[in-house]
Amino acid sequence: MDNDVVIKFDKVTKTYKLYKDDKKRFLGLFFKNIKYKEKKAVNNVSFDIHKGECVALFGKNGAGKSTILKLITGVTYPTEGKIEVNGRVSALLELTSGFDQEFTGRENIFLKGQILGIKDEEIKELERPIIEFAELGEYIDQPVRTYSSGMKARLGFSINANIKPEILIIDEALSVGDEAFRRKCVSKINEITSKKDVTLLFVTHATNTARDFCQRGIVMKKGKAIFDGDINSAIENYNTIIDKKASKKLNLSIDMNNIS
Amino acid sequence: MEGLNDFIKILKEHWRFRQQLLKLAKADLIKTYRGAALGWAWAIIKPVVQIFVYWFGFQIGLRTSKVVNGYPFFLWLIAGQVPWFYMNDMLTAGTESIRKYSYLVTKMKFPVSTIPTFVSISKMTINLLLMVIVMILYVCFGFSPTIYWLQLIFYILISFGFWTTWGLLGALLAAISKDFANLVKSFVSFLFWFSGILWNPDTVKVIWLRKLLRLNPITYLVTGFRDCLINKVWFWEKPSRLLYFLIAWGAMLIMALWAYRKVRKDIPDVL
Repeated sequence: MDNDVVIKFDKVTKTYKLYKDDKKRFLGLFFKNIKYKEKKAVNNVSFDIHKGECVALFGKNGAGKSTILKLITGVTYPTEGKIEVNGRVSALLELTSGFDQEFTGRENIFLKGQILGIKDEEIKELERPIIEFAELGEYIDQPVRTYSSGMKARLGFSINANIKPEILIIDEALSVGDEAFRRKCVSKINEITSKKDVTLLFVTHATNTARDFCQRGIVMKKGKAIFDGDINSAIENYNTIIDKKASKKLNLSIDMNNIS
Repeated sequence: MEGLNDFIKILKEHWRFRQQLLKLAKADLIKTYRGAALGWAWAIIKPVVQIFVYWFGFQIGLRTSKVVNGYPFFLWLIAGQVPWFYMNDMLTAGTESIRKYSYLVTKMKFPVSTIPTFVSISKMTINLLLMVIVMILYVCFGFSPTIYWLQLIFYILISFGFWTTWGLLGALLAAISKDFANLVKSFVSFLFWFSGILWNPDTVKVIWLRKLLRLNPITYLVTGFRDCLINKVWFWEKPSRLLYFLIAWGAMLIMALWAYRKVRKDIPDVL
């Protein structure tokens, strides 16, 4: 592997096995003839992302973007193909989850840091900036189950953004708290990505925001990467997909009008 | 061969995450008892109530219990019942451990094989505390420690190993199917009553049944604890029973490795 390739997808396919119910899935462990449907969420995708690159990932819902992110974070495994990731991955997705509900915010900071393999001294150093950024005040020593979803999202963002990530993954739904906090998040992301060796992967529908951050775009459609290249062409390509869908809808509504 | 590779992989994961495991075990322990008004007292109250119920039922109600090897029935009872509390925890909480800690699997990269282990460490810690209380009670009743008490370490270790192995098998299967967890739960009281925790399996009159019970790993462990505290028997004096136990443990390990290979990669997608 190239020294500066931080994420490498080599003919990666992810197939989900869909059973009718839990019982069928359990029986499927023992018997081969239990029926299930296969869904290819990611289909034969290959790409290299280099250190310091900012890449936007486009695609309609269900195009396989989230699965790609999960594969990069190592949460889920590829069915076929190989994935290599070098560096500390910090994923700003599903910010409200991934906490131990019974633990206080402060304890969760430590838990998360420990699981990510960060040394205790380093977590102690990061603790203060994380708490300050999250603006939780006294709540930091209350169990996370008492938090509102906005508070959880703030803490989640704060942890992930402050642990000095080498690879930062941002999901579109950056609707963290109110407008002021959202702006704070954006400037934090800018601050992180301005560092040369931080790689950014940005998933979004907002093409203009993507243009601000990224130089490269990958367009996903039905699990396949149909375009991979410079950002402007990627946005153009993505827009044609959406337009097709939009025009289909338009035709449909015209047909409906004709019928009625 | 594949199983052996998986086994090495699991051991490596445990080593790499050893510090996190201890912290998560501590966290599990704190979580179990924090929040309730009496907090840590529950760790003692619950087992005390259970022991009292069985002691009352047998000694006062049925009047079946008598002195065993010179020890009062109560001391004989707790020597087996207290180790069972840990086994009981592993059959219930151990089986559900991966489900309970699903956020470790679905939201971050965490080795799934280590989840039952830290839950097991947490449950064993409580059990060790109870074992100390048992020993204090023995002394209070006027039975001073014997050299056989040292053997407790042996039985605690093999019990921990056996039930942690079970935890891996049970929790993997329960993660795939909730039905499995329910099935195991409904078997707990069956195992409790059939494994000779409240009655002496060596006094069973039916010979084939008595022999069958010797194959039961739970019976082996419970009897082992009583051998340390009451019967004064070393484990090497019953080599064939130890062999049966080791075979059962090995079979459990093979099944756990099979389940691990089969479902490990599916678990994040299912939970």
